Amino acid sequence: MVFVLGLFLCLICFWANLSVGSVNIPFKEVIGRFFGYQFSKASWETIVMEYRLPKAFTAILAGISLSLSGLQMQTFFRNPLAGPFVLGISSGASLGVAILIMAGSAFGWSLYSGGIGVWAIIMAASAGAIMVLLLVSLIAWRVKDSMTLLIVGLMFGSAVSAVISVLAYFTEAEQLKLFTVWSMGSLGSTQTDQLFGFGLATIIGTIPILVMLKSYNAMLMGEAYASSMGVNINRLRWGMIISTGVLAGTATAFCGPIAFIGIAVPHIARLVFKTGDHRILFPASALSGAIILLVCDAFSQLPGSAQTLPINAVTSLVGAPMVIWLILRRNFSKEF
Amino acid sequence: MNDFTSKQITLSADNLSIGYSKDNNILAVADGLSFRLERGKLTCLMGPNGVGKSTLIKTIMRQTPVLKGEIILNGIPIINVPLKELSKKISVVLTDKVSTGNLTAEQLISLGRIPHTAWLGNLSNRDEAIMERAIELTKTDYIRSKRLSELSDGQLQKVMIARALCQDGEILILDEPTAHLDLVNRYEIMHLLKEIALKEQKAVLVVTHDLDIAIDTADTFWLMQCGFPLESGTPEDLILQGKLNRLLPEGHLVFDAQNGKVQESKVMVFPEIKGDPIAVKWVQNALKKTGQDFSKSNLEIEIKSEPFQILLKEEKNIFYFSTIGELIQHLIQDHKVSLEENRH
Repeated sequence: MVFVLGLFLCLICFWANLSVGSVNIPFKEVIGRFFGYQFSKASWETIVMEYRLPKAFTAILAGISLSLSGLQMQTFFRNPLAGPFVLGISSGASLGVAILIMAGSAFGWSLYSGGIGVWAIIMAASAGAIMVLLLVSLIAWRVKDSMTLLIVGLMFGSAVSAVISVLAYFTEAEQLKLFTVWSMGSLGSTQTDQLFGFGLATIIGTIPILVMLKSYNAMLMGEAYASSMGVNINRLRWGMIISTGVLAGTATAFCGPIAFIGIAVPHIARLVFKTGDHRILFPASALSGAIILLVCDAFSQLPGSAQTLPINAVTSLVGAPMVIWLILRRNFSKEF
Repeated sequence: MNDFTSKQITLSADNLSIGYSKDNNILAVADGLSFRLERGKLTCLMGPNGVGKSTLIKTIMRQTPVLKGEIILNGIPIINVPLKELSKKISVVLTDKVSTGNLTAEQLISLGRIPHTAWLGNLSNRDEAIMERAIELTKTDYIRSKRLSELSDGQLQKVMIARALCQDGEILILDEPTAHLDLVNRYEIMHLLKEIALKEQKAVLVVTHDLDIAIDTADTFWLMQCGFPLESGTPEDLILQGKLNRLLPEGHLVFDAQNGKVQESKVMVFPEIKGDPIAVKWVQNALKKTGQDFSKSNLEIEIKSEPFQILLKEEKNIFYFSTIGELIQHLIQDHKVSLEENRH
């Protein structure tokens, strides 16, 4: 029942997201277009189909991917502060992009020559994310304890950030700005043909979750109990690494490191749906993630003005009060 | 051993070594362990901290490798039993804190069915029936819809036992299930486990430090002590053979077979006390705690009942006290004065 309501809400947000922007298209017209009517202005067709529709789908996919990875991490590490990036995915992606954009001027190479294509950035981000995740996985092979893995992931994150700082220090202002803008996240740079790749990756990344749905419920009691209930912890760990690697990795590659969603949405799902059962929590998180990112994107368009805000600023500005409000309504410490 | 008892054995080991190994370093925690765990019996595993009780449990759960020997489950070495099958045979209650407050007691108990359900984890009628039976046995029906964060420690422990029962193995292993519970809950939990062993014909293995309650409830004791093989037997036999003393460090503590309690081994000399034997016992208990040596004092104590009164004859003086507390207060002051005099 709540899910039907949620899906409906998601659809409304989707349409609302399409209607706002520097050019305001009436909500009625957007809904009408979906039922086969033409827009009253021909330019609106281009704006919605070429620009806003891919952006809205990107928001949905990124929202789903990040929330699903965040929930997996929080349950596996039994840590409410874990998020999709604790294993170094976002820092890896940032390193890839930082090297692409800034290393040229920092070391006098010529990787950067004026315009950088969207694909080049996606490739660099993916390469970086995969590299760091592989390193963390190599260590995961050696350490059996999941808390140690968490610390290793955080250490990698810090080390990689330091390398990025060095690059940023030596680079030129123009490139630094380009990198900074990328690191603020953007949903608008994905085009229709890339969307299929994104969608496919999201489906692939969800498969390990579906296969091991029961194991995540067992993990609520901790590793020792889960293992006593026949859960293969090692298999679960690799499933989780692969799943978050694909989900959070693609989201970061296409949209930049989007903060907050991955950590906050699982909490919002827990608070709203009042359950710890992952058979409900996973779809609930996916749905909430899609809705929240659509709303955040709509806000970032600053309806009525020609400016847009970086999505990262908005996710935190909208999301933080939302989580605090939910916490104040219920006793949070008892809910996790 | 006759045919019946050999059929009752579910888990056994001969000359087992347990511990940890990393790379080529082997750290044996305990070796020479031989045991037989029987169905329908409550077995208490006792021993000092660090002797390897928890390691033994982890080894049985296959979370720690066996260093030497093998553990046999129903005739099959445990290493050859797939983890999934093992989880249908053995269920556990551990000391790990379960801190997911968002689950209700009922949801937690239903997690016990995880090894038996299909991939989505939906409960069949049979699963539901087993779960209801577990709830009924542990008498947790009245808290089934409460969240874990709202439960007391004793209630939580019963819910954890219900979850383990719900897993429906033939072996139930509990690691210190009565630690930090109050007296009533300790008794209730141990008697519940006894009932489970008997009624459900399960082999129940409990690690515990509660000697009194264990003597009252256990069918078998396993005693672990560094440097000794694992000693198993009926508690009463072990008491008569004086083997319970193995649990105690050499020297100042001893298990008193007379009253079934651990006592200081030093024999205390009390002044002469006359009166009701129960009152005499407790006055002696109080005197013991003053730490004074009464062997050289020539005190005489007489306890009168109706009304309760204590007479103390000290040299030629006679003192009257209405409570044991007052008597002790007097003796301590006397003692202090004499200490002061000695110092000057």
